Amino acid sequence: MRRLALPLIAVLLVAAVLGVQVAAGGGHYVPRRPANPCTARPAAPIPAQLDPLAEQIVLLGLDSAACRLGISRERLVLSLADTRTLDPRAPAALKAGLRDAVDRLAREGRLPKVSQLLPEALGQANLPGIAKTILEAIPASVIDNVLPTAPLLRRSIDELDINRLLHELNDPRRLNSAIRSAILKAALHQILDRLRP
Amino acid sequence: MSADRSDAPASPVAARTGTVAVLSLAIAVVLGDSGVVTLALPEILRDFGAGVGGVAWVLIAFNLVLALVAVPAARLSVREDPAVTTAGGVIGFAAATIVCAAAPSLGVLIAARAVQAVGGAVVIVGCLELLVAAIGDERAGVGRWAAAGVAGAALGPVAGGLLTWAFSWRAIFVAQIPVVLLTLPAAMTLRGRVRRRHPDLDISPDRPHVLANLALALLSAALTAALFLLVLLLVDGWDRSPAVAAAAVTAVPVAALLAGRVFRGVRAGTRSEAIAGSVLIAGGLTGLALLPGAKLGWTLAPQVLIGLGLGLSVDSLTAAALRDRNPRALHGGWTIAARHAGVVVGLAILTPIFTADLRHAETPAKEAIASLVLDAPLPASTKLELAGQLENRLAAERGRVPDLRPAFRTLRVPATQAPAAAALERGLEDQLTRAATGAFRTAFLVAAGLALLALGPALALRDRSH
Repeated sequence: MRRLALPLIAVLLVAAVLGVQVAAGGGHYVPRRPANPCTARPAAPIPAQLDPLAEQIVLLGLDSAACRLGISRERLVLSLADTRTLDPRAPAALKAGLRDAVDRLAREGRLPKVSQLLPEALGQANLPGIAKTILEAIPASVIDNVLPTAPLLRRSIDELDINRLLHELNDPRRLNSAIRSAILKAALHQILDRLRP
Repeated sequence: MSADRSDAPASPVAARTGTVAVLSLAIAVVLGDSGVVTLALPEILRDFGAGVGGVAWVLIAFNLVLALVAVPAARLSVREDPAVTTAGGVIGFAAATIVCAAAPSLGVLIAARAVQAVGGAVVIVGCLELLVAAIGDERAGVGRWAAAGVAGAALGPVAGGLLTWAFSWRAIFVAQIPVVLLTLPAAMTLRGRVRRRHPDLDISPDRPHVLANLALALLSAALTAALFLLVLLLVDGWDRSPAVAAAAVTAVPVAALLAGRVFRGVRAGTRSEAIAGSVLIAGGLTGLALLPGAKLGWTLAPQVLIGLGLGLSVDSLTAAALRDRNPRALHGGWTIAARHAGVVVGLAILTPIFTADLRHAETPAKEAIASLVLDAPLPASTKLELAGQLENRLAAERGRVPDLRPAFRTLRVPATQAPAAAALERGLEDQLTRAATGAFRTAFLVAAGLALLALGPALALRDRSH
């Protein structure tokens, strides 16, 4: 009996310690695992501002692009840092993903109207004062009729040169300028389309 | 009986007590050297700009040479007066320790550690004979020798950590020099006291106790993990200072010292103690593999299990390996060789496992970091800037757990976003800690497997109570 006492005490002590640790989550203390990009994430409300809208489109677009490529959103983002080893399908997948994001936001009625975004856009734009005054004088209903948000965004995405953007990820100024130029071009084309008989 | 002893001590009680204390201290210092630099490894790594694999040789060299030299040193101790060989060993050990303290490069440090081990081996086996002679009782002398070794092995990393924190890793070696030199006069007072009675035993000594030595080797391999890996996890993985890590790992020696008091009263016998010790060490290592968080408190209970197992099994197995075997010093040498061969095997098996796992942990850690940054309630421009900085940090510290704080120090955010940035920083640190903790999991489990393997020889031991 005495011979069994010590091994028995040892087994009981080990079982008690391991039991407490496993009950407290031992073995599951691991880094956060990437979510499945093909499962829609709960979307946060978007204020009628340019930056939050752009960020939401990019985040949803990354999910959609990653789903198309069969990898996690995080792996896709990390791979964007090195364009030399980037999957050649990635730029097309990103463009398609951004379009998917706009479609989803439009479907859910979460896209702000262009008239709501215009004051902020004009504030940031490098336009002559007179041009800004004229644009501000246009009634919101006219703006929203001529420039519905979803088609404008889709067209802007089509105008984007994704490969160029990927090379400019580390230069926020050039990145912003490229995006702004794509939106402006898309807006002009859209206005011209509306003016055509 | 063996090549030794005029067992009756001739010196006065006080002098004898002092001699025993000094000899015990020398044993603890030399065997403590096996893992004394464990907590200093990150600082040595930074000082010499080496990798984990290279720095591990500061530990491996000492243990490997000690394992190889212990038996020849014991033969020398059997043939010559152990007082003289011990004095020679002390001088060699002290000289090599001075070189360690002043080492200008990692190569010199590793070479000096190897020489230190040669001197240390001679000191250890010589002290076994000297302790028996000083105490005048074989069983008490062997018990004191084994206990001093266990205390040294368990306290070595703690002492090394505190010295590194208070001064630098070089202080570890500086502090040892006067302590071991004290052994010189103590050894010389016992000169001529250990007599050879049966020179023929030198030709046909008893066979080594294979089972006890094998169990010692396997448990030592597992215990290496307990101290080496745990310290690396605390300092490198959890970013704790060597002082905090040293304080945290005192749980092992404290529990080891308590084990004797708590369990020896049961008088269960060598076999039961070895079995219980193996189970406790394996259980403690499994506990370290299954940590539920990065709080120091979570490491305490597994450490206590390991300490209890260490205190219960190592000196019990050592006593079993020496019992009724002659010459005693030679069998003492075998136990030292087995233990330190176990340490080397443990390091050789576990170092590649956890360094590979640390590399493999990079991808999930990066993905977790990317996930947190993408979802952080910060403007896109801030996230882009931060992503660039983080990428630089991760690239700069490839193969090690990176420090992300500099990326946040250079980040300029408005006051309204500061709480979100601070929360993100904490989140990223948490992800890195989780990844680092996970990277040590397999190594701890393999070490637990080594301790469980020791159950084999432990079960086959003949049971003898104390």
